[in-house]
Amino acid sequence: MTTTLEHTETSAEPRGGGLARYQNFGTAVVAGVIFAWIGWFIARKLFWSSSDNFSDQVATMTAVGWMIGFWIGIGAFNAPFRWLLGNDNSRDDDLYYAGYKQGRARYWKYTTDHKVVGVQYIIVTMSLLGVGGILAMAIRTELIVPGTHFVNQQVYNSFIAIHGMVMILALIVAVAGPWGNFVMPIMVGARDMAFPRLNALSLWTLVSAAVLLVTVLAVGGLPVGWVVLGTIADQAGVGMDFFAMAIVVFTVSTTVASINLITTVITMRTKGMTLDRLPIFVWGTIITAVLALYAFPFFFVAELNQLLDRTASTSFYIAAGGGTSWLQANLFWLMGHPEVYVILIPAVAALFEISSTMARKPLFSYRTAVGAMVALSGLSALVWAHHMFTSGWAPTLGGPFMVTTELISIPTGIFFLVLVGTLWRGNVWMKLPTIWMFGFIFNFIIGGVTGIYLSDVPLDEQLHGTMFVTAHFHYIFVGSVLFGAIAALAYWFPKVTGRYLDERMGRYSFWLVFIGVQITFGAMFLSGLKGMPRRDASYSLAFEHTNFISTLGAYIIMSGMLVLLGAVITSWRRGEPSGPNPWHANTLEWQVPTPVPLENFLEEPVITQDPYHYGEELVGQ
Amino acid sequence: MIRSRSLGVALASVLLGGGALALAGFALATATPHQTPLTCTPVSGKAHTCSVHLSTFPDSLEGVHGASGGPHPDWVTYSNDNVVVPAHETIDVTIDQYDTGGAANNPFFDNVIGTNGGFDTVNGVKTTHVGVNDIGHTFTIRGIPGNGKTLFVSIPLPANNSNKFPVKLGIGTYPKPIVVKFSFDTGGPTVYEFNCEFPCGGSRLGNGFGEAMSSYGYMSGTFTVQ
Amino acid sequence: MATSSGKRSLKTFYYSWGILTVVGVLLAIWIPKRYMPHMMSNDGNLSVTTMILFSVLAAPVAAGVYAAAIHVLRHDRYKGDGVPPAAEQVRENTKLTVTWLTVSAVLTVFVLVWGLGALAAENSSSGNPLVVDVTGQQWVWTFAYPGTHVVSNELIVPDHREVEFRVTSVDVTHGFWVVNFGVQVDANPGTITTIHTTPDKLGTIEVRCEQFCGLNHAFMDAVGHVVTPSQFSAWLASQPARA
Repeated sequence: MTTTLEHTETSAEPRGGGLARYQNFGTAVVAGVIFAWIGWFIARKLFWSSSDNFSDQVATMTAVGWMIGFWIGIGAFNAPFRWLLGNDNSRDDDLYYAGYKQGRARYWKYTTDHKVVGVQYIIVTMSLLGVGGILAMAIRTELIVPGTHFVNQQVYNSFIAIHGMVMILALIVAVAGPWGNFVMPIMVGARDMAFPRLNALSLWTLVSAAVLLVTVLAVGGLPVGWVVLGTIADQAGVGMDFFAMAIVVFTVSTTVASINLITTVITMRTKGMTLDRLPIFVWGTIITAVLALYAFPFFFVAELNQLLDRTASTSFYIAAGGGTSWLQANLFWLMGHPEVYVILIPAVAALFEISSTMARKPLFSYRTAVGAMVALSGLSALVWAHHMFTSGWAPTLGGPFMVTTELISIPTGIFFLVLVGTLWRGNVWMKLPTIWMFGFIFNFIIGGVTGIYLSDVPLDEQLHGTMFVTAHFHYIFVGSVLFGAIAALAYWFPKVTGRYLDERMGRYSFWLVFIGVQITFGAMFLSGLKGMPRRDASYSLAFEHTNFISTLGAYIIMSGMLVLLGAVITSWRRGEPSGPNPWHANTLEWQVPTPVPLENFLEEPVITQDPYHYGEELVGQ
Repeated sequence: MIRSRSLGVALASVLLGGGALALAGFALATATPHQTPLTCTPVSGKAHTCSVHLSTFPDSLEGVHGASGGPHPDWVTYSNDNVVVPAHETIDVTIDQYDTGGAANNPFFDNVIGTNGGFDTVNGVKTTHVGVNDIGHTFTIRGIPGNGKTLFVSIPLPANNSNKFPVKLGIGTYPKPIVVKFSFDTGGPTVYEFNCEFPCGGSRLGNGFGEAMSSYGYMSGTFTVQ
Repeated sequence: MATSSGKRSLKTFYYSWGILTVVGVLLAIWIPKRYMPHMMSNDGNLSVTTMILFSVLAAPVAAGVYAAAIHVLRHDRYKGDGVPPAAEQVRENTKLTVTWLTVSAVLTVFVLVWGLGALAAENSSSGNPLVVDVTGQQWVWTFAYPGTHVVSNELIVPDHREVEFRVTSVDVTHGFWVVNFGVQVDANPGTITTIHTTPDKLGTIEVRCEQFCGLNHAFMDAVGHVVTPSQFSAWLASQPARA
């Protein structure tokens, strides 16, 4: 089967596109601001200014205006609207939307080509990590000595809330966004995702939500923590409404993305790609997508209820009205625990792929790896209340949730078996992706074991709410997931750009970040053991040494991440050329040229074996 | 890339990035509100004693938040939130209370706790307890520094229900204040935090601990012992 | 050093495993005692013991994974230029996988049984506790002793008698944590949560708020003491009636 691209175009300019020819991120922001203002204006006329809910109603309408305006401005409604009018997109329009012949401009637009969306996700992830990182540096700078010298407690409290949420957003998409989009469709032999327009929608919705989230800092902040417990959210200003709207919008993005990923893997695999020839990264992607589809709607409901309480005087979370803040906590954590596995599994699956290629060996125990990821996802839906052991809610459920939480350690342990088993007796190619993978192995053990401490209810009664918890999840998020995401970046960077990510700078970055993580979060474990509560703008003298050390470590991590940023920027255009398959890997994305052409394959590939045969010629490709 | 070029780019990234961050941090530190400290004035005739004068206002118009009352002119406020006192001294505190009141949410704070002698004087009269419905604000200061002295002092500030407003401060007019005086002793260098325990802030649900009570610079502050 | 095929020396692996396990066990025993607060109740002691036990159990597991990684780094690194050749195409090792699963399941069950047992022990009550009503509000703790008129900002409890804390809040959710007793429970508005423990040493205790509660959450500490029963009665009698 040939593509329509074989009819060679003689014109240099792209044709078709309609309104989309004039729409990009800039018009989206302008339209968003205009509609935000319209929302603000209407709300002020519509609602009673004497009501307690007035400022929240106005803020919510403003945020809704932003969201709708942004979608209009980026062109999300163009094609559905034309369909409604019976004037569907033509082939030229579709090509235009796919970014055909637009050069770099297509990265700023509502482009449906999954590879463009993948690159856009890289930029969004890096931006979110940057914002979150700046906030992290502000936080650690404040904590370098006791007292509140750098910023006051209110500003600090807002910073920790926004740092938390921004980083969570960044990590949710860190591997699944760029590589689930760029690589996964090619890996299954498809020409694009099942729903290319929804793909662009999920990315631009994320951007819209991220802007709303960062705007919170400008409208009074969110000095109530990122878990926004129902009781204290009452004392938050309009920042809370922007936050809740950002989350509502964000969950739309993840739901759309999950549907797209699942449908692509189920329906668009090429001929011969049976489930047991599926690359492990694809398994990771679909398992994650199913879990995300289950989990994020809880967050949507949790924040929607909060908005209703604040704008419509309902009392979901208000005890005086018959509600309870425990409802908010349960809904939040019903999302919150599966969410951390939504964050973890793509990183682990990418590392599985990397370990096999870099060790020149098949993935060790493929089926067990798949089974472990499935078990992990399934169990993760049953453990949420371990975040609430000390809340006083349902003390009799402490035992059952302890059981389910500790059972999770079994599939998690399998990850180590598979990774190390793949590397064992391989010919391990010590390039950048491999190095970050070893860092992951070191850090994930520490993160995982400390999680077991927290799952023991009596021990949790001492450790809950201390910096021990913070250190635990930073070892997972920074020490493990981030390392996996950077390994994935180093691995697939040549596919995107045709150049290696600079090996030397990557190594400087690795050592700085790795050592920085041990210093920062190792000392933080000690702060927590000694009894330092978390989310404290200031602390007692007993904790001054460990905090000072943690702050120094944070500056080291910052240096490492800056070096990585420099490496990405300089290698993108001027790195060492790599060719289309620098790692001599067998998965399908490496069998297409770089840059990958529109619609990926000239001929539909036919698969006759799994991608883990090394040392034998690939058959039928 | 050759080795020295990689190293150069790496160093440049760190320096440029770090510099940008430092600049942002500096801007942040200078932009966030810090009140000029109020120092404790030595009292002549009493050894190792100094005095601090604070006030509690029903709005922010007397000038501490700016000439026009700052971003929230209607929020109640203390006159100073950043007090510096010497170590190992007796601090004589005078608070002028200009605001109305009602009932505290915890009757524990109707009592005078932890002062020297266990009492305070309200307009010259020795007091240990204020009526349940007559609380205007409280001055509750505490700290467990891990070195130095553990402190817990709480004073109920009676409600000022006068309906004459002869006092002009800034652009605000206020009744004659209720003058509350008390003393406590400091230990070694540390920071104590004080705040009001009367629900005098706004909040959506009316429990009174939002807005002025939850925002830096209004109804809470610090005593830095140096 | 790899031999031509089949078995090769696993010395690096075993030595690394041994050394790292010893180091890990030593750290496991030393760090909790050195860094955790001075525990003054049965639950506090239990938390330190659990910390040590879990760390000792985790040490050989972590050491095993690290030792395998070290062995790979030492022996399996490809040292040539260019693309490494294909390595031995092993896809499964059923024995290893089953062993791994079994060991991790056994460890998990052990940890679970310990935890469930500890939880049951913690929950059992002597039936005649001293009740202390704890009220959290932004940003102070107050402690009331029902049956007396005593309300205090300091937590005074007698030694060797079970104390039951009934905890509530008058505004937002706080976290009542007695650091030296190893127990904590959230203080929620409109409801009463309960935790109990039995102090077993005399001395100073600290209460901290461990659930973020707003502007001055970091300053929401209270101090207290565990005293002898006679000192406790004397203290109660000496307090002015405040409730």
